[in-house]
Amino acid sequence: MTRRTEDKGLARRDFLKAAGIGVAAAAAAGAAAVGPAAASENRDQRKRARYRETDHVKKFYASNRL
Amino acid sequence: MARMKFLCDSERCVECNACVTACKNEHEVPWGINRRRVVTLNDGQKGERSISMACMHCEDAPCMAVCPVDCFYKTDDGVVLHSKDLCIGCGYCFYACPFGAPQYPQVGNFGSRGKMDKCTFCAGGPEADNTKEEYAKYGSNRLAEGKLPLCAEMCSTKALLAGDGDVIADIYKERVARRGYGSGAWGWATAYKTGSSA
Amino acid sequence: MLIKKSSGTPTRGRLSGLLAGSTLATMDRRGFLKASGLAAGGLAAFGALKPAMVRQAEAAPSTSPNIVKRRNICTHCSVGCTVTAEVENEVWVGQEPTWESPINLGTHCAKGAAIRELTHGDRRLKYPMKLVAGKWTRISWDQAINEIGDKLLEIRGKSGPESVYWLGSAKFSNEGGYLFRKFAAFWGTNNIDHQARICHSTTVAGVANTWGYGAMTNSYNDIHNSRAIMIMGGNPAEAHPVSMQHVLRGKEQNKAPLIVVDPRFTRTAAHATEYVRIRPGTDIPFMWGLLWHIFENGWEDKEYIRQRVYGMDEIRAEVKKWNPQEVERVVGVPGEQMKRVAELMAKNRPSTLIWCMGVTQHSMGTANVRALSVFQLALGNIGVEGGGANIFRGHCNVQGCTDLGLDVTTLPAYYGLTEGAWRHWSRVWDVDYAWMQSRFESKKMMETKGIPSTRWFDAVLVDKKDLEQNDNVKAMFFWGHGGNTVPRMPEMRTGMEKVELMVVVDPHPTTAAALPDRKDGTYLLPACTQLETRGSRTASNRSLQWGDQIVKPVFESKADHWILYKLAKKLGFEKEMFKNIKIDEGDEPNVEDILREINRGTISIGYSGQSPERLKEHMKHQADFDIVSLRATKGPLKGEFYGLPWPCWGTPEMKHPGTHVLYNTHLPVKDGGGAFRARFGVERNGVSLLADGSYPMDSEIKDGHPEFTYGLLKKMGWDKELTDAERATIERIGGNNPDGVGWAIDLSCGIIRVTMAHGVQAMGNAKARAVAFGLPDPVPVHREPIYTPRRDLVEKYPAMADRRDYRLPHLGKSIQDKDFSKDFPMILTTGRLVEYEGGGEETRSNKWLAELQQSMFVEINPADASRLGIKDGQDVWVHGPENKAKARVKALVTQRVGQGVVFMPFHFSGFWQGVDQRAKYPPGADPIVLGESANGVTSYGYDPVTHMHENKATLCRVEAA
Repeated sequence: MTRRTEDKGLARRDFLKAAGIGVAAAAAAGAAAVGPAAASENRDQRKRARYRETDHVKKFYASNRL
Repeated sequence: MARMKFLCDSERCVECNACVTACKNEHEVPWGINRRRVVTLNDGQKGERSISMACMHCEDAPCMAVCPVDCFYKTDDGVVLHSKDLCIGCGYCFYACPFGAPQYPQVGNFGSRGKMDKCTFCAGGPEADNTKEEYAKYGSNRLAEGKLPLCAEMCSTKALLAGDGDVIADIYKERVARRGYGSGAWGWATAYKTGSSA
Repeated sequence: MLIKKSSGTPTRGRLSGLLAGSTLATMDRRGFLKASGLAAGGLAAFGALKPAMVRQAEAAPSTSPNIVKRRNICTHCSVGCTVTAEVENEVWVGQEPTWESPINLGTHCAKGAAIRELTHGDRRLKYPMKLVAGKWTRISWDQAINEIGDKLLEIRGKSGPESVYWLGSAKFSNEGGYLFRKFAAFWGTNNIDHQARICHSTTVAGVANTWGYGAMTNSYNDIHNSRAIMIMGGNPAEAHPVSMQHVLRGKEQNKAPLIVVDPRFTRTAAHATEYVRIRPGTDIPFMWGLLWHIFENGWEDKEYIRQRVYGMDEIRAEVKKWNPQEVERVVGVPGEQMKRVAELMAKNRPSTLIWCMGVTQHSMGTANVRALSVFQLALGNIGVEGGGANIFRGHCNVQGCTDLGLDVTTLPAYYGLTEGAWRHWSRVWDVDYAWMQSRFESKKMMETKGIPSTRWFDAVLVDKKDLEQNDNVKAMFFWGHGGNTVPRMPEMRTGMEKVELMVVVDPHPTTAAALPDRKDGTYLLPACTQLETRGSRTASNRSLQWGDQIVKPVFESKADHWILYKLAKKLGFEKEMFKNIKIDEGDEPNVEDILREINRGTISIGYSGQSPERLKEHMKHQADFDIVSLRATKGPLKGEFYGLPWPCWGTPEMKHPGTHVLYNTHLPVKDGGGAFRARFGVERNGVSLLADGSYPMDSEIKDGHPEFTYGLLKKMGWDKELTDAERATIERIGGNNPDGVGWAIDLSCGIIRVTMAHGVQAMGNAKARAVAFGLPDPVPVHREPIYTPRRDLVEKYPAMADRRDYRLPHLGKSIQDKDFSKDFPMILTTGRLVEYEGGGEETRSNKWLAELQQSMFVEINPADASRLGIKDGQDVWVHGPENKAKARVKALVTQRVGQGVVFMPFHFSGFWQGVDQRAKYPPGADPIVLGESANGVTSYGYDPVTHMHENKATLCRVEAA
């Protein structure tokens, strides 16, 4: 399968949508359509480690050792 | 500091695709975008094995190296993330990636690519943690919630491991020692430069 | 189109290089089919949702403080995985792993991990509808119940109660299922059935006739204790993926050989240490072939057989015929491999035997099951931890609904249909026996088996003189049951078109709505899923688990018990039917009350101790249970088995812990031990049927004994230990003959309580029957499938002679006598895919699952494909031997199937003989993925005991389209 067939598929889908067969599209048109990045983190905040060995994580590890 | 990694134990993977639908479920990934998928080798023949594949969050991530707008960044956990605000959908990262991880929605009828999307190790993106904005662009941020990627957490046979690379390598080693066989940690040599067995 | 793995085309070279050792292309079933460029109309329409990594407006990260967690059980298979839902403002927004569940330890398969979608319900049936001049029209619940009720009463007046067929569901809760069974009784017919007929009816009949109960003897978890594992005719990697967690742990921890016996090299076989390919329909010769080596080498458990098995010598005589040469000729497996497998199972004990529909769905299904059971008896593997007949049931509550009698042959808890059974249940229901009888056409019909679901349409189409009931079936209920689940669909479709009334009660419209060309008289009633109500369900291992309501029923859907109450009211028997069941606000029967009524009546199988209160405690304390023994090792439930697996003897107050391993003499009865049930008398032709020197631990009777009655209790001098209340109940039940009151109809459970105090099992202590006198073929013998390509074997191994049963003619030999193999030379077998379940309408409507498997296909061996000029991915016609049956599907050329055998999955519908039926679904409720039904081409063939269909071995012809 190639990207070309992918294009074809999309074209047909768009066509059908235009013809009113499609389900109501709840999703926005693309990431760009999302509002301005108001809550953006700065460079340091972004990189900060999030991982913590919580109870939840410990249970995951333990269940994998069984 | 803990370094996040994925490891798929192919002796356990039964190609059930729970990892795939768990990912869809957790992040509401739309039809046609696949952050994770299961690849089967020797399908239907002796030696058939499956492995679950996604962005491996590489040590020297090729996607980062080729990105013309420098939209990628790597967290102190070793997770490779990117900004969809900066991404121009050029597709270079897709060609650079050894795992085929980057995905693109199509926008318009002429095949132009939308913003790249890929596995975030359930760690969101550059918006503030677990805000609507972050969720809308990147999905949930389980790491910030003190959890691990849902694909691994829900894996039916506990084949897919995720978390602290040292811990999951240990778990895998224990398994190999106990059962006396293992096919090695798929993709680790490429992603983490650690040799093909954990 | 739709990328997945195939989107990786440019990187495939690198990818496969990375996957060291593999030089093969990384194409698989999904990549292949996606690459073949399908896209049905609905798919395309679905794709109108712009693929963008941006979610629906209401979606948000699940970290809000308003989130509550609720637990229910996955509705997709019998493993019983706990689902933890995060709910915000009555919307199910997130799903988390449940580490505490001793069954799934947090995990799910593709279906379980996508289950949240069901309550979002893009493609659900949203409100009641009916066909008006061929058009789907929205109606109210009141109108629907009124019109359906009026029509039912009209049919009842004209043709009698037997002319309405109640096809129920293995997806009911125990409470909904029980109520459905009770409803059919109060309506006045035994024409009530559900999916057990088509998945494991032959298992239930086979094992119950061997050792007492029709259920998995051990559990998924217990496989951790197995030293060898054999899976026959089952593909749990796709059908029960979470069970593989336990299977693979057993394999790894015990270095247990994993033997997979199947005509297909399945995804399960990929993990086997030994794969055995047999020809479809040769299960008995295979088992006897293994036993040949076992007897020849003296590997059987002689002491176990002496103490606990009746009739093994007759088996030996039959097994003698199956020497390695004959086995290889019939089955296709060389003697060397047969010997190796026999030795692996015999020398690595305890060894477990797992089977599924590859064994059961045959015209000799019950005999197949019995052969497998006898094999385990010969090795002394039954009643032992790590051993067992680990029968993986299918649907999430098929075990529960079987137990609760959604079956044409019995009332709840296997009491049968005799007068004694009806009197027992009339007492439980607190209705007069005479009134009960008045609901039926006659006492005779009340005690006559109904028509099995595999053949409901024969009851519509057959000449009335060939039908042993007053009139043909005129009204058909599909209540939680797909319309593509049984063979001979062309005839079924005609049946659907001929009935006067068709009612589909289901979360989805199902195939039944879209298949027939009907203009009027079809109603669709939206039932909610079990995630939208509360109640208990029984997993394959007999554990009962309680599910809480996650969200309220979506759209206008309603719970089964609500719909049943409304219908009962319309039909005028709700006062009798709900006499001891409180009706809560909103006309909803109280679920806990229903379970309490179940508890009161199901003494025979020990569904009596699992009160709603106890079950809820078990869910709360999941973390206290050991994952191997399933016993609570700490906390308030210490000593109990998870989910109180039945039998959980006596009343809830007696605190029986449940039974993890059936017939286990290594434990006292009061602690979950037991022995084989004394069900078939005490002796036959002078030979004792009771156990010989084997008994449950601590039993005061150190030998076999019959089942207990009040009379036997007196003889033992134990009757004095009954309380006054217990004695009064027994005497009230017994009337003139109190001594005849057996333990199973003693509503006080006093007989159970007293015998248990003496370490004795009230249901007796017998031998298992290797020879099941009373069944056709008491010693299982090989019979070629009705449609077989092996004409050279037909004379020696013929099908059964034509007969009658279940109110209908039943053909066998007269069909087999005709040679179809010239025109239909390929063997066709069917099976499961991991993404879908059953008829598949629900799962094919789930966008996260549908994306993974977008086309119906047929697997064909490369040699056959090349001979027929069929290329990978092209469309082919599969023709069936009856009714000009045909289906247009894609060819998947693969070595997964052997030469001469093709395989089709059975989850598809919505295409009929090449024509898209999408327009026939109610708008917006059509599944995302449609395809031809395998049963569109499968054929006649029924098991003589249960009328299970023969779905695993028929014939077909494949041609390029």
